[in-house]
Amino acid sequence: MFNKAVSYDLLWDSAAFEAVDESQRWILAVMRRHGHELVTMLWRILGNEQDVCDAYQTTFLRLAHHEEGLKPKWVKAYLFRAASNTALSMLRQRIAERKALSSVVQTADDTQDVQIDINVKHLTENLRYHVAQLPEHLRNVIMLRDFGELSYAEVARIMGISVGTARVYRCKAVQLLATWMNREADQ
Amino acid sequence: MKFLARGQTTRSDQGKPSPSQCRRIRRRLVDSMLRRVGPEAPWVQRHVAHCPRCQKRLAGLGKVDLALSIIKSQPHRLDLLMRANSAAMRMLNHDAREATAAKELEQARPEPCFVERCGRYRNPVTNVAACIAILFLTKAGIFSSFDKVHARGEAALKQYYTTQAGEEVAREIFGA
Repeated sequence: MFNKAVSYDLLWDSAAFEAVDESQRWILAVMRRHGHELVTMLWRILGNEQDVCDAYQTTFLRLAHHEEGLKPKWVKAYLFRAASNTALSMLRQRIAERKALSSVVQTADDTQDVQIDINVKHLTENLRYHVAQLPEHLRNVIMLRDFGELSYAEVARIMGISVGTARVYRCKAVQLLATWMNREADQ
Repeated sequence: MKFLARGQTTRSDQGKPSPSQCRRIRRRLVDSMLRRVGPEAPWVQRHVAHCPRCQKRLAGLGKVDLALSIIKSQPHRLDLLMRANSAAMRMLNHDAREATAAKELEQARPEPCFVERCGRYRNPVTNVAACIAILFLTKAGIFSSFDKVHARGEAALKQYYTTQAGEEVAREIFGA
C-alpha cells in the first residue's frame, strides 16, 4: 500500500514536471537577456563562484516552476528578487557556518593574541555580513541598487515604492551599515 | 489687466515647464545645497576637524563606500557566466536544452555594453572632433577677422591718400 502511494506520488510528480516542462524556451531568452546582470549581482553578494552558480541555478529553477511554468508578469523583477533572496539565504548560511567555525578557532587563538589586520577581504566580508543583517526593505534596495546596478526607477518599480523612497532607503541603509561597521571596529 | 491669484505665476498661464527644466533646476539646487551644507562645505570641514564623533561617523560612511567600491571592482572569472548557464540549463527540459540558443548560452561570455565597447575610441574621436572644431573656428572666426582688418586698413589708407594727395591719386592707387 505504502509502495503504491509512493509510486503514485512519483507518477504525479513526473506528470507535473512534464506539464511544467512544456515550453521552457522563453527561459533561454530570459537567461540570455538578464544572465550577465544576474551573475554580476550574485557575484557581488556572494563573492564565491560556486555559490554564484548554485544561486543562479536555483533562481532559474524557481522561474521555471513559477505558477506551474507560467511566465511572470515582469520577469526581470521576479528574477532579481528571487536571485537576491536565494543569495541572501546562502549568505546567512555561510555566516552561521563561519560563526560556528570561528568560535572553535577563537578558543585556540585566544592565547596567541593574534592581531587582525583590516584587509580588503575582511572589509568586504564585513559589509556582506552587515548587509545580510539589514531590515528587508533597506537590504533589498542595497542589493538591487548597489550589487545589481539597477536604476532607482527600476528598484522602485520592483519594490513597489516611489523613486524618492528608494533613495531614502538607500541612504538609511548606508548610515546603518556605517554605524554597525564602526561599532564592530570599536569592539 | 489680469490679477494673479496667490501662488499663481505668469508661467502657469503659458503651460507647464518641461521636465528637463525641472531636472536642471533640481540639479542646480542640489549642487548649491551641497556646496553650502554638504560634507565639502568649509564650515563642515572645520567642525569635523575638531569633532571626534563626526570624524567617526564620516569614517564609517567612508568605510562603507570603500567596501562597496571594492566589491564592485572585484572581477569574476570570464567563464563564470558560461558555468552558471550550464548549471541552470541542467534544470531545464530536453527540448530547451537541445535548442540552438542553449548551445550559445553555454558558450556565452560577458560582453561589455555598446558604450563601454566604444570607450576605447573616445580619445581619438575627441581629438578629431577638436581638430575639426579648431579648423572651423579658424576658418569662420580668424579669417573673417583678417578680412575685416584688411578692409578697414585699406579704407584708412585710401582716406589718408585722399586727404593728403587728392581724390584722383587715391582712386588711381586703390582703384574705383
